[in-house]
Amino acid sequence: MPTGAYRRLNPATKLALALAEAVLALGVRGWSGPLVVIAVCVGVTIAARIARRSVLLVLASIPLLVSIILVNTFLYPGATDPIVQLGPFRPTWTGLAAALQATLRVVAFGFSVVVLILTTEPDHLIADLERRGLGRRAAFVVGATLRAIPRTTQRAAQITEAQRARALDTEGRLWRRVRGILPLAGPLVFGALTDVEEQTMALEARAFSAPGRRTVLRVFPDSATQRVVRWAALLGALALLASSIAGVLEAIP
Amino acid sequence: MSLVLAGVRYRYAGSRTDALDRIDLAVPSGSVTGLVGPNEAGKSTICLVAAGLAPATIGGRLEGVVSIDGLESSSARPHELAQRCGILFQNPATQLSGTAPTVWEEVAFGPRNLALPVDDVVDRVTDALAALGIESLAERDPTRLSGGQAQLVALAGILALRPALVILDEPTSQLDPQGTRMVGEALRRLVRENRTAILVVEHKTALLDQLADRVAVVDQGRLIREGPTDEVLSDPALSEHGVEPPPRVRVRSALAGAGLRTPREADVLIAELTR
Amino acid sequence: MAWLSRQFSTRVIVLIPIAIAINIVLGFTVQKVLNLPIYLDSIGTILVGVLAGPIAGAVTGAASNLIWQYAPVIGPGSNIGPFAITAAVIGLLAGLWGQLGVYKSRPAQGVRLWLAIAIGVAAPALLILPIINNPAYTDPNVGGYPSWVYWAAVLIAAMFALVLAAVAYVRRDSAAVWVALAGAATGIVAAVVSAPIAAIVYGGVMGSGTDLLVAALRQGGSDVYHASLGQGLFSDPIDKTITSFVVFLVVLGLSRRFLARFPMGERLTDTASA
Repeated sequence: MPTGAYRRLNPATKLALALAEAVLALGVRGWSGPLVVIAVCVGVTIAARIARRSVLLVLASIPLLVSIILVNTFLYPGATDPIVQLGPFRPTWTGLAAALQATLRVVAFGFSVVVLILTTEPDHLIADLERRGLGRRAAFVVGATLRAIPRTTQRAAQITEAQRARALDTEGRLWRRVRGILPLAGPLVFGALTDVEEQTMALEARAFSAPGRRTVLRVFPDSATQRVVRWAALLGALALLASSIAGVLEAIP
Repeated sequence: MSLVLAGVRYRYAGSRTDALDRIDLAVPSGSVTGLVGPNEAGKSTICLVAAGLAPATIGGRLEGVVSIDGLESSSARPHELAQRCGILFQNPATQLSGTAPTVWEEVAFGPRNLALPVDDVVDRVTDALAALGIESLAERDPTRLSGGQAQLVALAGILALRPALVILDEPTSQLDPQGTRMVGEALRRLVRENRTAILVVEHKTALLDQLADRVAVVDQGRLIREGPTDEVLSDPALSEHGVEPPPRVRVRSALAGAGLRTPREADVLIAELTR
Repeated sequence: MAWLSRQFSTRVIVLIPIAIAINIVLGFTVQKVLNLPIYLDSIGTILVGVLAGPIAGAVTGAASNLIWQYAPVIGPGSNIGPFAITAAVIGLLAGLWGQLGVYKSRPAQGVRLWLAIAIGVAAPALLILPIINNPAYTDPNVGGYPSWVYWAAVLIAAMFALVLAAVAYVRRDSAAVWVALAGAATGIVAAVVSAPIAAIVYGGVMGSGTDLLVAALRQGGSDVYHASLGQGLFSDPIDKTITSFVVFLVVLGLSRRFLARFPMGERLTDTASA
């Protein structure tokens, strides 16, 4: 599969696949769900040449994974099959199995998220969803949030800088750090709110609340095959989720 | 008449006093009216009322008649008003939608909102960018523009709606002299070619001196006087209302103070020198 | 239906992205900088709930988690997506408290102030007693908590009462009591909603320092769900109470003119305040 093929899929298809993978990874009990998702994602990342970046990003979950493995292996309630007795520590097989399953779930979910992030432009996704009927207000909220995050981060840095000069910073001993965080929240919120009125007026002055669907500027290629894949993925994932909850899938590992 | 305010009184929501007291103002199409006065005089309030944002978007209580291109603001929906009147504020950052990846898409925001056909949208954006001479900015990221460039983009976004009336609240306060010049030229072209009516709040009376046909003085929510630019800006009582006369008038009064009368030719010279 | 569309007026649509960005930036900063059991990632959610209503609050909460999870750069390392349900509930409750006028300033002096403080201190005590006296929660053999949890809960409740009394007294405002109680209640509900998610999806841990608490609870005999619940009940009420106070102080600092334009503005101001 050529490197650009997955990237060139319609954004809604990539989203549907990511959501189906998320449901499969997190909601379906047992080993199969997460393993299938990991296999699919690894395949996609290799084909799209994003394997190295994907793995690096997924590795960010390592603290969580370590915690999952340690806490569950050594302290699984009700487990009576010890692996070995190391002084006061009694790791159990049941615990280890539960730990590994949870680990696979986290890794699988992480991969599905990373694949979507690395292959899809947020603006393209929002535009495509809007073409399919997502309201202009939802589209605005998502788009504006993505651009507000870097701006707010900058503002937070400025506030922190100013407060560092007054010894209210967020480095150093714990108490100082706590004292530094709360005074950050107040100015950050107030500063952000000052623009609300003008932004509201500016939007209304540009006909934001007009009725109907906004003009579509860009159409992303789609195909009947992709449509089938989207529906199959979403419905299939939901069906598997329901089966798992109903206990129908007990037989599958 | 593109804009008519008749007997207008306005009170902000949650406020106990009137911000505007019996304002009567009219701006004909194809003309520019300047608005001057001290801070907190009500100039910005007049802009909001004239644009129909008050009370439609920000609430408050409005008495009197506000007619924008024939449409009464009290019964109109915000998007109907938006097609007849555009308003530009001081701070460009809050006026850009914050959702467009390029200047081109930013300018297209308004026409898109109206669900116009794609060709129409493209035409309007092209015209708006050309009117302000910023075609070269089309592919730029709106969040990485200088203050002046952002202000021009915001203005383009308004022009894309092809309003009959354009209101500007201190549009050049964050601009350098070149930016100010560009805005002034763009407004002049609008008036000349599209017969747009313009209401502009400005502290830079020199700009109004060159641009405006009439000037209105506002203080404490009341209209103090209104008339042709030269008359109003030459009025010695102007400084009582916190307005600094333009350089031309100051030079003339300085010369008069030194006992020299200025013939008509000298007026022209002074205007040239103080541009 | 009109009530619903008013909750999503253009002004609210402008507020929500700002609120979500605050949630994410503060939440991210706190996570990086502190290792305390507070998150401070719901300030925006509660603010929107209080200013615009429960549905808007719920949307803000859920969207914050989902956008954070799938946001370029910040997203992949976090595991906050599945907790979108909890965040939605927090926003919903905030809208509820807002409608009940919890965040309205109620200046009080003397007897009235102390009466309110007394209620604020007594309420958690009255809530905790039947729980503590119920063997289902305190008998380790039945999947309950080890005995030291009993003392920890009493200590936390005492600190809570102290802080509540201090804030109410210093600001001469009995609303502080209601805000604190609303915050604690929101925290408890949040913990109850999050526990199954953590237990089922993440093996009962969160990847942060509070996992030590989970370990200790399991060591003492709790099952997976109760250990997660115990961790939640330790962090969430504190975090949501602090957050509620921050939102309360923010609302106090906003002008009447600003508040009046929001759907729930009237419930936050009364005729006496300027």
